[in-house]
Amino acid sequence: MRVVVADDVMLTRAGIVRLLKDAGIEVVAEVEDASALLHQVHLTRPDVALVDIRMPPTHTDEGVVAAEAIRRELPEVGVLVLSEYVEPAYAMRLIQEHPERVGYLLKERVFDIATVVDALRRLTDGETVIDPTIVSRLVGRRRRVNPLANLSDREREVLGLIAEGMSNRAIAARLFVTERTVEAHVTQIFQKLRLAESPDQHRRVLAVLEFLRT
Amino acid sequence: MRLAAGLAGIATALGSLAIVIGPGRNTTYAGYSALAATLMVGSGVGLILAGLVTSFFGSGGRTGDLAVLAGAVWFAPVWVGWHNGPPLVRSVAMLAALFAFPLFVHLILAAPSGRLRGAAARALVLTVYLEAGLVAVALGLVRDPFFDPNCWANCTDNVFLLRSLPGLARGIESAHLWFTVLAAIALIIMIGWRLLTDSGPARRGLLPFALPAALLAGAVIAHAVVLQRTSLEDPSHPAFQMIFIVECTAVLLLAAGLVWSTVRTRLQRRADRGITANLGQAPPPGSLQAALAQAVDDPELRIAYWLSDSQRYVDAEGRPVAEPAIRPGRTLTTLVREGRKIAVVSHTAAVPDLERAIGAAVRLALENERLQAEMLAHLDQLRASRVRIVETGDAERRQLERDLHDGAQQRLLALSYDLRLARAQTQADDDAPTASLLTEAMGEAQAALSELRVLAHGIYPVILAEAGLAPAVATLAETAALPVEVLDLVEGRYAPAIETAAYLLVADGVDDAAHRDASHVTVDIVQNGEKLMVAVEDDGINRTSELVQLADRVGALDGRLVVEPTRLRAELPCG
Repeated sequence: MRVVVADDVMLTRAGIVRLLKDAGIEVVAEVEDASALLHQVHLTRPDVALVDIRMPPTHTDEGVVAAEAIRRELPEVGVLVLSEYVEPAYAMRLIQEHPERVGYLLKERVFDIATVVDALRRLTDGETVIDPTIVSRLVGRRRRVNPLANLSDREREVLGLIAEGMSNRAIAARLFVTERTVEAHVTQIFQKLRLAESPDQHRRVLAVLEFLRT
Repeated sequence: MRLAAGLAGIATALGSLAIVIGPGRNTTYAGYSALAATLMVGSGVGLILAGLVTSFFGSGGRTGDLAVLAGAVWFAPVWVGWHNGPPLVRSVAMLAALFAFPLFVHLILAAPSGRLRGAAARALVLTVYLEAGLVAVALGLVRDPFFDPNCWANCTDNVFLLRSLPGLARGIESAHLWFTVLAAIALIIMIGWRLLTDSGPARRGLLPFALPAALLAGAVIAHAVVLQRTSLEDPSHPAFQMIFIVECTAVLLLAAGLVWSTVRTRLQRRADRGITANLGQAPPPGSLQAALAQAVDDPELRIAYWLSDSQRYVDAEGRPVAEPAIRPGRTLTTLVREGRKIAVVSHTAAVPDLERAIGAAVRLALENERLQAEMLAHLDQLRASRVRIVETGDAERRQLERDLHDGAQQRLLALSYDLRLARAQTQADDDAPTASLLTEAMGEAQAALSELRVLAHGIYPVILAEAGLAPAVATLAETAALPVEVLDLVEGRYAPAIETAAYLLVADGVDDAAHRDASHVTVDIVQNGEKLMVAVEDDGINRTSELVQLADRVGALDGRLVVEPTRLRAELPCG
């Protein structure tokens, strides 16, 4: 798998690149700002671009803007945005327009390189990746009237995995159950939460996240 | 009485005319040409009339009387030259003529007010009168015109003669001539000095008299110089004729200046009355400019108050204004009270002397308004400084967050990567104990990172600056320790200070609610016109804290914060 790494802090960038290389992933370019990123992505056509959300010049949301540009211009290139902060708002913004092949992970996930590699693979498969921390925060959010209270523990677990962007098959593999069992859970969950079940995998992620945020 | 004096003066003038065209044809300057005669009579009559006008319509005190007297005395040389006239008349006129110059000096220095300003002016006037008096007495007693080889106008009559002393008389005449030259120079210097040092209105009052003064003094000096050369005064000599014409012109201009001065004073009085009428009741603070503008009929009138503390000008609302500058057709009047500059009024030049037109009541109102303007200016400064303090604090927090992100967080991340690589190495080497130690270390590093993240977020919520109020409040609601229900949440972006204030209001409100054992909080943020309305309500026990910092922050933005036992309501200007 070929990736481009964009991070303005040399130390971090070097660390990520080393870990990725150790995991057998080919890093075709390292860049430190958004314009260099777009240039390299056009040049090298990687499978995925790993993008730090805060980059020069303003150190705010350059990463998100660059990700949106890549998704718009090169739909076959996946984008994994790395962020120090757990901000569902960014995740939502990222997947709003082009939910497929977009991921939002906390930067510290990179320690657990297996998670990153898994995320990269899922992105190249066309899935969506949302950081489990964000999802667990949304699921565990304190609510006055909690519609999730009607769900069983297993259903809540499946809901979380849906929100992380997993397909039914991936969920089945994760939970060691059959895909049909997962489908049954999903139907049950959507009924209980009164959500319209979408055949589109990506729209499903969006719908669940939006539900969890309100 | 004045009228009688005036009529006597006119009669004198007419008599002079008669003499000039008749018996005095060869013994007076005026007799030598029709132009000279016309100028002589015209200027003298003009001065008498101007004096009468000033007396009856002006506020010049004795100026008018002085002018009438000077006008009458102006004709004395003609009566001296009344060939074959009564000896008494010629003798009296000879002595009276000596007083023409002192009268002119007095009139010029006392105009337009009629009062002599300053010790120097008083001394000069007194000296020239005294000298004229002494010379008159001395010449009257010892000058025998018959023995005067240089006589021309009157070579026969002096009824006062006690003893003929031609030598002494010549000496006195010569001394008088040079004394007059010195006095004329002193007059020019004095007028010049006043023009240089007087302030605006006073200087303008002086202008109509400066030119006649200069001409008169010049004529006196020239007369002495020419006389020195020719030794014999000859009215037919072109130089003497010219000097005479200049003298006449000076007197004519003096008359015109007096009339102009009187007219101007009357116009000003009218304006003054207007101001008084309009400001009959004390104008409410801040409206003085409008009241004055209406009073002098000048909509462009501006008052700039001077704040000596901060060395700048402000308007009645305390807002800084540019230093008033002189423009064509406009006048600046600096108003001073007890030696301190209060204000500078820029107004139409049609009211030249506003300072005098402004009465005590208006001055007091001006002073009050200046005090209020000063207070408002201070208030503005305070408000601005409060905003700066809040903004500086925010900027520092943001910088601190960025420093944490770029520094400690990145180093911890790098450390974690290294630990991760080291662990992979030890696992490959089958060194289980070290691997487990490294796993533990990784856990610690991760914990440190997430603590740092929480800390950084507490210092400054990056999401607020990057994505705005709505996402930041949404995140806040998602991570709060108690259920936070967001009823309404504006989507738009606002000024950073407004967003920060609204965000902190929600954050502090939620925090405060949690401390008061609330079971849930509702947040409502809506825009109402040019106001952002933020409400945070909970069901906890009544609050005891006053949330001073929040109130300060909202106040700095000119907003309003209402703190109720279980509810916070704020209005923030967002227009």
